[in-house]
Amino acid sequence: MIVKDWCSYCGECAGICPKNCIEVKETSLVFDDEECTENCDFCVQACPLHALEKE
Amino acid sequence: MIFMIKTDVLVVGSGPAGSTAAKHAALGGADVILMDKKAEIGAPKRCAEGVSKNGLKRVGVEVNPRWVTRELDGVRLVAPDGTDVWLTTDTIEIPEAGYILERKIFDKYMAMDAARAGAQIFIKTQAKGVRKDGDGFIVTCEKMGELFEIKCKILIAADGPESHVARWAGLKTTYNKPKNMESGIQYEMCNVKLQDQNVIEFFFGSVAPGGYVWIFPKEGDIANVGLAVIAEMAEKPAIEYLDDFVKTNPALKDAQPVEMNVGGDPVGGIHKKIYSDNLMVVGDAASQVNPLTGGGIISGMTGGMHAGKVAADAIKDEDYSAKRLKEYDTNLRDAIGDEMKKYLKVKDYLLSLSDKELNSVAVAFQDVEFEKANTEELVKNLIKVSPKAVLKLGKLF
Repeated sequence: MIVKDWCSYCGECAGICPKNCIEVKETSLVFDDEECTENCDFCVQACPLHALEKE
Repeated sequence: MIFMIKTDVLVVGSGPAGSTAAKHAALGGADVILMDKKAEIGAPKRCAEGVSKNGLKRVGVEVNPRWVTRELDGVRLVAPDGTDVWLTTDTIEIPEAGYILERKIFDKYMAMDAARAGAQIFIKTQAKGVRKDGDGFIVTCEKMGELFEIKCKILIAADGPESHVARWAGLKTTYNKPKNMESGIQYEMCNVKLQDQNVIEFFFGSVAPGGYVWIFPKEGDIANVGLAVIAEMAEKPAIEYLDDFVKTNPALKDAQPVEMNVGGDPVGGIHKKIYSDNLMVVGDAASQVNPLTGGGIISGMTGGMHAGKVAADAIKDEDYSAKRLKEYDTNLRDAIGDEMKKYLKVKDYLLSLSDKELNSVAVAFQDVEFEKANTEELVKNLIKVSPKAVLKLGKLF
């Protein structure tokens, strides 16, 4: 997942992830690529700032 | 060598729900640690900052002018075609009438209340993992590069809608349906010129698919202007809906943003399972949010208050089992469970209406004298302008 510079680390993506794959730190997102296997795109769609993009 | 701290109760997350839980657990005599990953409690805010007066009373918080920015007189509801309905406290009793807060101050004050009750506060401290250890949990923490562990008898997860703590501890608090998590965005703006600066405004329909736009006035000409959308119903990111609204709303013609806030809002109703052995979940992490308004300060604090009290009693009884902690779930649902279910139904009803039907509903309510009207009259009015909207209402009940 590409996290754009304008991400504000609000946690929307982590909250909506059905597999609990995203950890929000104060100024970074950590993705568990092994768990993220469903291609659901919920996080990409839900980001209020359009700050996530699939590689 | 990683060092370990032992405590009775560990609360992860120092929003209003977490701080309230910590305060009540400490007041009940428990050793309490309240931790938060942020450097500043209360910032950044992720909230429109509205609370009801009755709600604050219910959670035992005395109003302090340091964190109140505006006392409200009413609500203006605006349909997609601009038809509006004014509900003001001089014409109708509005149970949710209240205040607009300054969350950056309010949250700190709530944490200070917890500290004064005896809780220790760890800021800039992040939970990295949770593991069961006998009759308790061990939480691995990181503070500015240093790893350490906290062993607790009761763990209270108050780490927001993106909560990992509850999930690490074995509770399922993820959503299967994306419609249960709204995408929210807000500007704090100045130069806002509302018709009545003491009235909050809501705008419904395709202006914010699955949610609504709000304008919550703060001190002087300042207001929170924001919206929430359900991503699967939206055609573009939330920020684009908000920018479009700001460009076209007359009250915002000269308005300028001084802050942007974003975040998710869990609006699917309280999670089914919010406790287990040695664990309770409160606030947004437990989806203790009004599904209709998206407001979660008071409902989260209600959760925190009940969890904190039960935690203190359980510590005294030396019983931290799910069976003992179930009292938290029972007390919480007795307090707000029915109203949450009612609001969920109303939300589903509003989501089922098209822009045209929303306009009809607004027309039906526009000229009603609320102090004289009863439910039958309101339904009669609605039947006149939109039988379809009434049919959809009937299906819900």
